[in-house]
Amino acid sequence: MKQLFASLSFRLALTYAGLFVGSLLLLVGAYYTMVVRVPLREAEQVVQREAAQLANIYIVDGEAALVARLRARDAAVDRYKAFHAFVDRKGRVVTANLPSWPRAVFQGWGRLEADTSVDGDEHDFEALALDRRFDDGARLIIGRDIDNISEREQALASGASVVAVAALLLALLGGLLMSRAIGRRVDRVAATARDVMAGDMSKRVSIDGSGDEFDRLAETLNAMLQRIEHSMEAVRRVSDSVAHEMRTPLARLRASLEDAAAGQGDVADALAEADRLTTIFDAVLRIARLDTGSREIALGEVDLTALLDDVADFYRPAAEERGILLTSFIQTGLLLRCDRDLVFQAAANLLDNAIKYTPNGGEVVLYGQEETAALLIAVQDTGPGVPDSDLSHIAERFYRAHKGAAPGVGLGLSLVETVARLHHSALAFRNIDGGFRVDWRFPA
Amino acid sequence: MHILLIEDDPRVADHVAKGMREAGHIVTIARDGREGLLRAAADPFDVIVLDRMLPHVDGLRILQTIRATGDATPVLILSALGDVDERIKGLRAGGDDYLPKPFALSELVARVEGLGRRGPAIPEVTELKSGDLVIDLLGRSVTRGGQRIDVTQREFRILEYLVRSAGRVVTRSMLLEHVWDYNFDPQTNIIDQHVSRLRQKLDRGFDVPFIETVRGTGYVVRPAP
Repeated sequence: MKQLFASLSFRLALTYAGLFVGSLLLLVGAYYTMVVRVPLREAEQVVQREAAQLANIYIVDGEAALVARLRARDAAVDRYKAFHAFVDRKGRVVTANLPSWPRAVFQGWGRLEADTSVDGDEHDFEALALDRRFDDGARLIIGRDIDNISEREQALASGASVVAVAALLLALLGGLLMSRAIGRRVDRVAATARDVMAGDMSKRVSIDGSGDEFDRLAETLNAMLQRIEHSMEAVRRVSDSVAHEMRTPLARLRASLEDAAAGQGDVADALAEADRLTTIFDAVLRIARLDTGSREIALGEVDLTALLDDVADFYRPAAEERGILLTSFIQTGLLLRCDRDLVFQAAANLLDNAIKYTPNGGEVVLYGQEETAALLIAVQDTGPGVPDSDLSHIAERFYRAHKGAAPGVGLGLSLVETVARLHHSALAFRNIDGGFRVDWRFPA
Repeated sequence: MHILLIEDDPRVADHVAKGMREAGHIVTIARDGREGLLRAAADPFDVIVLDRMLPHVDGLRILQTIRATGDATPVLILSALGDVDERIKGLRAGGDDYLPKPFALSELVARVEGLGRRGPAIPEVTELKSGDLVIDLLGRSVTRGGQRIDVTQREFRILEYLVRSAGRVVTRSMLLEHVWDYNFDPQTNIIDQHVSRLRQKLDRGFDVPFIETVRGTGYVVRPAP
C-alpha cells in the first residue's frame, strides 16, 4: 500500500478522484438549493405571513372570526396543503386538521408528522409549522405541507452519498489500473536501462507505436543509446586498430634503430618511421575525437564555391607534377551550412586519394553542383577503382585499396566518412567506366 | 636570443636546450610551472617555450598568469595534444604559436626564431623589397630585376610571407598555417610543390635561386647583403 502511494500515477489518480467527488458535491449543493432550499424558504414565508394575519384576526376580531377563517383556509385548494390547530384559552381544541402536535409550545419552526386520510386514502404529509401562544392562553399552530420538499431532500441526501462512494471507488480503481499500466511501462524502460548498464549495448526500449509520451520518451532514449553505442564502438575500433596498425611501424622503427645502433643503417629511416607513426596517430585521434563527439562540429554558412576552388588550387601542383589533368566544375554561388575546416579536410582527402591512385597522365575532376534536393561534391578519376566486393569497406579504418601502390595509411576515407556522417550527408563510392567516382551529397 | 624553456621532461628539455644553444641562443630551463613563473617575472626573455602538460597544472593556466601580469613576451606552446581545437585553445589563451609533440627540433628552432624577431610589424607598407625582388602589395604584382612575374594569388601570399620572414627559416607547417585559411592536415607534402612552382617562376632567367631550401626543415629567403 505504501508503495502504491509512492507512485506518482496513483497520487495523480487520487487527486483526480478527489477533484471529481468535490465537483460532484458542488453540483449536488446547487441542485439542493434549487429544489429544496428555495421552495422551503417560500413555504416559510407563506406560513409566517398566514400566522401573523390569523393572529391579528384573533386579537382584533375574536375567536369566531379566526375559526371561520381557518376553516375557509382548510377548504381552499393550494399548492401546499394547509394545516392548523387552535386551542382556546381553556385548553379545548376548537378546530384542527393536524392529527397530533406536541403538548408543549415549540419555539420557531417545527416540523410535524401530519398523516391524514383524504377521501379514504392515507396520505403522508409533513407540516412546516409555527406555534403561537396568545396572552390569554389560547394556542394557534399554523402549518403548510412540505412533504414534497422533504422527500426530495431525503432522496438527494441518500443519492448523493451513493454516487459519491461509487465515484470514489471508481476513481480509486481507475487510479490503480492507471498506475499499474504506467508503472509497467516505466519498469520496461528501467529494465532496458539495467540491461544496458550490465553491458548489453544493443538493448533498446520497446515502442508500442501509439506515439504517446512514453513512445516519445522511448524514442529519445533509444537515440541516446544509439549514440552511446556508436561512441563506444568507435572507441573500441580505434583502440583495436591502433593496437593492430601501430605495431608494424613501431616494429620498423625499432628495426631501423637497431640497425643504426649496430652502425649499419641510416638514422633518417628511423626518423621517417617516427614521423609516419605520428601521422597515423594524429589521423586516428582526429577521427576518434569526431566519432566520439568530443570535437563538436562548428556549423556556419560557408561559401562552398570558394572552398572547393581552394581545394582544387591546393592540389593542382601535385596533379601537374604527375601529368594529371585536374579540372574542376564548380558552380558559382554555392552556399552550404557546414563545418568549414572539416569539409575542406574531407574534400582534400578525396582529391588526394584520386590523385594518388590515378596513373600519370590521367585525369581527375572535382565537381561542385546544386541539384534539386542536394548540394553535390564529387570527385572522379581515371584510376583503377576498387574491387566491387571492397566498395563497402573502403571507408573502414586502415583500408588501402592497393597496398603499397601509393603512400598513405588508409585513414583518409575514414575521416571523410566521419565528416559526412556528422553533416548528415550521403557518401557513395562507385566504379565507373574507366575510373572511380565519389559522390557526396548534402541534402538541401 | 634569450629563451625560457618551461618543460618538466628532462630528456625533452635537454634536447631542446642543446638544439637552441647550437643555433646560438641562450636557454634557461624551468622544470615546473612555479619555477617558470618566477623566472619569467625575474628576467626579460625574448621567447618563452611552454609545455602544455606540466605536473599538477595546465600550461595554459601559467600562460594566462603570465599574460595577466601584462607580460607580452612571445610564447610558443609545446603540447602532446595535437588537435586543431587544442591549437586554437592555446592561441586563444594568449599563445603566439603552438607546436604538437613530437616535433622536429629544426621546426621548433625555426618557429622560436620566427617569434623572437617578429618585433613590431612594419606599418602600412605598400611595397616589400628583397634584393632584386619587389612585391607591390597594392597592385598585387611581383617584379624581379624589373621583370614582371605572373604568380597566382596563393603564390603571392607564399612569397609575401617568405619575404616578410626574410633571414629566418620558414617550415612547411608554418607556411600552411599562414598562407591557407583552413585548419587542416594535408597528409602528403603538397606545400613543397607549391613552393617549387613559385620558385620556377621566380628563378627563370636568374642564376641565384631566390628561395633556398633548408634540408629537412623548410625554406628561407636570404636577406639582401
